[in-house]
Amino acid sequence: MRATAARAAALTAVLALTGLLPWLSGTDPALSLLRARSAEQEPTPEALAAIRTDLGLDSGPVALLGRWAAGLLHGDLGVSWVSGTEVLPAVLAGLQVSLTLMGAAAAVALLTGAALAAPAALRGRAGTGTAAAVLAALPEFLLALLLLITVGVWLGGLPTSGWTGPAHLVLPALALGIPAGALLGRLVAEALPAVLEERWVELWQGAGTSRRYVTTAALRRALPPLVPQFAMVAVGLTGGAVAVETVFAVPGLGRTALGAAKSQDLPLLQGAILALLTLGLLAGAVGSAVRRRLLGPALRDASLTLPTARPTPVPTAVPVALGAVLLTTIGWGLLREPYAIHTTARLAAPSAAHPLGTDALGRDVLARLGHGAVPTIGTAAAVCLLAGLVGLLLGFLPDTATGFADVTNALPPVVAGIMVAAVTGPGTGAAALAVTLTAWPPLASHAAALTQEVRASAFLTAQRAMGASPLWILSRHVLPAVAGPVARHAVLRLPGTALALASLGFLGLGAQPPTPEWGLLLNESADYAERAPVAALAPAAALALLAALAVTLAAMTTRRRTTTSQRKSLSLAR
Amino acid sequence: MNPPVPATPLIVADSPAQPTPSAEPLAPPHAGPAGQPLLSVRDLVVRYGTTTAVDGVSFDIHAGETVGLVGPSGCGKSSTAAAVLQLRRPHSGEVRFDDVDLTALDERQLRPVRQRLQPVFQDPYGSLSPRRRIRDQIAEPLRLHGRWSHSAGPRRVAELLDMTGLNPALGSRFPHELSGGQCQRAGIARALANTPRLLILDEPISALDASLRAGILNLLLDLQDGLGLSYLFISHDITAVRHLSNRILTMRDGRLVR
Repeated sequence: MRATAARAAALTAVLALTGLLPWLSGTDPALSLLRARSAEQEPTPEALAAIRTDLGLDSGPVALLGRWAAGLLHGDLGVSWVSGTEVLPAVLAGLQVSLTLMGAAAAVALLTGAALAAPAALRGRAGTGTAAAVLAALPEFLLALLLLITVGVWLGGLPTSGWTGPAHLVLPALALGIPAGALLGRLVAEALPAVLEERWVELWQGAGTSRRYVTTAALRRALPPLVPQFAMVAVGLTGGAVAVETVFAVPGLGRTALGAAKSQDLPLLQGAILALLTLGLLAGAVGSAVRRRLLGPALRDASLTLPTARPTPVPTAVPVALGAVLLTTIGWGLLREPYAIHTTARLAAPSAAHPLGTDALGRDVLARLGHGAVPTIGTAAAVCLLAGLVGLLLGFLPDTATGFADVTNALPPVVAGIMVAAVTGPGTGAAALAVTLTAWPPLASHAAALTQEVRASAFLTAQRAMGASPLWILSRHVLPAVAGPVARHAVLRLPGTALALASLGFLGLGAQPPTPEWGLLLNESADYAERAPVAALAPAAALALLAALAVTLAAMTTRRRTTTSQRKSLSLAR
Repeated sequence: MNPPVPATPLIVADSPAQPTPSAEPLAPPHAGPAGQPLLSVRDLVVRYGTTTAVDGVSFDIHAGETVGLVGPSGCGKSSTAAAVLQLRRPHSGEVRFDDVDLTALDERQLRPVRQRLQPVFQDPYGSLSPRRRIRDQIAEPLRLHGRWSHSAGPRRVAELLDMTGLNPALGSRFPHELSGGQCQRAGIARALANTPRLLILDEPISALDASLRAGILNLLLDLQDGLGLSYLFISHDITAVRHLSNRILTMRDGRLVR
């Protein structure tokens, strides 16, 4: 009940925010509109006032919102400010393209996920290795660019831009589907070993149950806590679609939204965001319905025991080596001058003077990479910390949190970034805000799912019978069971967060030039990939390294945390 | 009323260390039917939504007495146990323990009472936290009720391990490192930490294999002799119930029969 109320409140807020975009917008829409409509007309106060009256911008937020909502109820999304055509047909056309692309990407994702989870399911092997982790952390825009450069430009054979036939579907679907599939496969592969070590598996095997039957049952047990994350992967496709459609010039909904945000065509932006939001909400609703269906009465009857997850050990040398490479590069780059322009050495190949070459303005790529680490990683770490805390807190108010999360979950960071940028204008702060707004729900829903399951486990009944207060149970049993996995999850999301920030930068919604933020850096150098491949690949490699580092670090911190807490309880008992 | 059946320990034991109750053997203070009962349940009704699981059950348990509760699956045995323990608040009826009606107390007022009224559950692994050492779990009731001190606490835990026939070295293990029988002993040790008067044994041996069952039953008998405990022993194993109980109640469809 409370979840429904929270969901309604959050949905109303997002809708109102969308409806009020023209009014909230910090930059004057009238001015940009005047420029878009006729380049030669002078922006006189009279001309601007006429446009404002024409758009109804002077009638105040309530009237604006009321008119937009009334139109919405009649299926009227308004008229594009820039092209003067109806918004609804444009949105529907974009939706059709995007849905086709997402469908193909989902098929790619399922295949990738199944391939990655197969070793764990068949042999009970933990994890899927660092390669899969990096693949999962690889942002769609990065993969899209790599595919564009390698397959499209160097190898040829597949079209890299436009939307005129099935061949145009291949590269965008791969770019969108592979990271999603790697994430799915990884989640399943990490959840399975703990389940396969449970006693019932031995029992069933001993009773001669077929391996396939046991594997199916183990999957059935491992899946319910993961379903919300699967739904989020589906929502992520809508955000990934913005970047992929932009890279491959696919006329889908995401590209429409981004274009509308950049040209301040707010009615079109409202329509596109509404459609993206609806897609996301549908995915979330399907996810929670499936989870409830899978767990059924076990959640209600307090009869569910938890599989105790044991982290996969990672050799300490791996993150140390990765960190050393990354830190050396960043440190080396920090000592160099990132903004000095050498007009004589544009797009230079790597040399002693410029170890990673120079960019199109002749700036040193290594220096820009080093100085870019601060806005990229620093912002991401702050966003992660904040999102982790918010997620943990809200995880204990599962009803309220689920309600809000269902709605925020439907907003991938890129879409949130488009909205925030439409209000405040693009910038590092806007990107950080957008990513924080969308980063907490996965953590909160993970915390809520864990809390719900710990609360449903039998030993908490024993705790109550012992006379333990709710606070005691929360602080001694629920929190320790939840905080560890959620913290690990937050660390695990550091690359994702950094890459979300980078993808906003890449799309021009985040840090602005000349900041050497890595996404922006990649965007700037991608155009010259053929002439200066090292300059283009350097930020891409840095982002991939960061992903690998964070993933391997997460496994290590877990191991250390459990050993110290065990030592502590030992000394207490003495 | 039935006369108390003399309890004869079985011979089989599953543990390397024999249970050695530390207190000097007392004569079980079997108060006759005339005395004040320790637990007095009157017209207990437990409902789940529209289903009535327990429908007007009344019985008494006297100090030092074991009352067996048998019946087919789903007849309301465990619901009765949960309602006596106030883990599921009964719909109506009275649960009078030590002359206090527990149904009239709120959670906060119940907490001190819970020290003297403890459950032992069916699932030996599920009733222990998978992420804590055995000795910490046995110590938890002591900490919870402010009875923990750095000197006396560990001594009490060692004593409880000894009483339940567990090797002290097992205290540093996690539940998944123990056998089912050892976990059940740990669960009993935890229940005994704050010197309860009544244990609600909800199918305590059903999840164990036959050789371990006798060990747990013998342990329960020894503990009763040593500590003067009362038991409500719930099981569908009629032999075990006969072996342990002074009186046997039979439940069917939420009611006591006979």
